[in-house]
Amino acid sequence: MAVEIKRQSPISFPGNPLKTELRGHWTVMQEYEAKGDAPRVIDLSHRIRWDLQDSDIARHRPGGVSIPDTPGRCVFENGVLINRMNRTQASIWHLSGEDLSIPDDPAFTDVTDATVFLALLGKEIFSITEKLTTLDFFDPLKEAPFLLQGPFSHVPCQMVILGNTPEKSAILFTCSRGYAQDMIAAVLEAGAEFELHPAGENAFSDWVNK
Amino acid sequence: MALTLTCPVCGKRNGYEFRYGGEEKGPRPDEAGITPRSWCEYVHMNQCVAGIQKEWWCHKDGCGVWFTTHRDTTCNLEVDKPEAQS
Repeated sequence: MAVEIKRQSPISFPGNPLKTELRGHWTVMQEYEAKGDAPRVIDLSHRIRWDLQDSDIARHRPGGVSIPDTPGRCVFENGVLINRMNRTQASIWHLSGEDLSIPDDPAFTDVTDATVFLALLGKEIFSITEKLTTLDFFDPLKEAPFLLQGPFSHVPCQMVILGNTPEKSAILFTCSRGYAQDMIAAVLEAGAEFELHPAGENAFSDWVNK
Repeated sequence: MALTLTCPVCGKRNGYEFRYGGEEKGPRPDEAGITPRSWCEYVHMNQCVAGIQKEWWCHKDGCGVWFTTHRDTTCNLEVDKPEAQS
């Protein structure tokens, strides 16, 4: 008897999406009602994420991309975002949406189902984040994209700043799956005064393609 | 609590992001011929310095790195390169 697999995002947004798609056993929210230039929060939990740990981490080239030398640096190539976390560890996020198979190497772990993955887009997102964390998203010594690791709404997170200019403001972040619903509640409450609203995956793809 | 610590990866951060790992006691003693008493002293006995001591910390809410730093225990402030000052 065939077993039907269903993969469930750890969060649910208020309201109904305009368009969804069943992909890789996930129900992907593709579109919500558009609300102008107001900041948006997007659930990307279905996008594949790997953790890489190795004492000789430089020997790996996931997706044909070299891992950055310095912790805190990120590289985005071929639709793959690689974030160097510390001397021995990096996280690999597949932003293109391609369903890549994980390398046959014990250094790699698929953490897609272990974490929540969110995007914040819009020029006022940093007014929202400053209500939830003391992390410095405008460190002049760092050039986007860069990685910050620290508490966001008191939860340890990995946060990648894809852009921190008014024209191009975007943050991606992950935390443990168990915090997901409380995390999204905190983000939506902090963003209420800026009309933060849910958006679908298409909004993120459009932003990346720009 | 005013303690801030300087993570070698993430830079200066709030002390609440870190986990204390104890005094720096030097390398683990050679297990060949070690007595229960000397092992117990290595594991459990501390100097409890009133002043600057070298100690281990883990950036548990950040990058997860273990590192050593110097802290003045009388004022609970991180001290920058005390060897260079002495």
